[in-house]
Amino acid sequence: MYKRKMIFDLDYYKFVGSWAWILHRLSGLALIFYLTAHVWVISTISKGEAGFEEVMGVLATPLFKYLEIGLWGIILFHAFNGIRVVLVDFSKGSLYHKKLFFILIFIAFVLWVAGGYIIVSHM
Amino acid sequence: MDKNYKESSKSGGLIWLFQRVSAIVLFILLMVHFVTYHFIGHGIVKYADVVEKMKAPWFNLIQFIFLLTALYHGINGIWMVAEDYMKKRGTRIFVFSILVLLGLILLFVGMLTIFKAGGIK
Repeated sequence: MYKRKMIFDLDYYKFVGSWAWILHRLSGLALIFYLTAHVWVISTISKGEAGFEEVMGVLATPLFKYLEIGLWGIILFHAFNGIRVVLVDFSKGSLYHKKLFFILIFIAFVLWVAGGYIIVSHM
Repeated sequence: MDKNYKESSKSGGLIWLFQRVSAIVLFILLMVHFVTYHFIGHGIVKYADVVEKMKAPWFNLIQFIFLLTALYHGINGIWMVAEDYMKKRGTRIFVFSILVLLGLILLFVGMLTIFKAGGIK
């Protein structure tokens, strides 16, 4: 029987599926941190126009625009690997899940570059 | 075998299914949401535009469904991850309570925003 020595035993994670699994978890954790911040930031809209526009002004600075590109990447990874998870569970995705991973990540990468370009053009 | 395995097999199946169903709902809503607020209109969210949108009840309803689905999926997701690394019953109950509390606080703050800025009385 496999005995886990540490929380992250890197010997065990050497396949595409294992890495997809761990990155899915990490990106998911990052997104719930973002969602917490997002709900709190957007709640300033109930303070009226001045308060809300002030916060939005901070989010329009280059630092936050770069973070937004990162956010878009994390969302795309989680969303497109999520499609793979659904296909593996409900369809015959397990037969071609590695190929599926690279196809979906390629689509996600193209969307990331396209979205990143749009965000950079806003700066 | 873990003595609690029977317990998890009762509720685990539905939780697994809901995580996938909410994932599909979120995929669609999040893509529309991100394109609308981060790409269109120079990526700047204007107060007047949002308040105008929030006058429509269907918009607020979708926002509420979006928030609820995202919180369920996110909080349940953390729980699924955390569960793998906790053995003691006390630790599990403590972490579970914290997560439920976080979910409820965020749901409350989000709903408050919808009610106040949406002008719903």
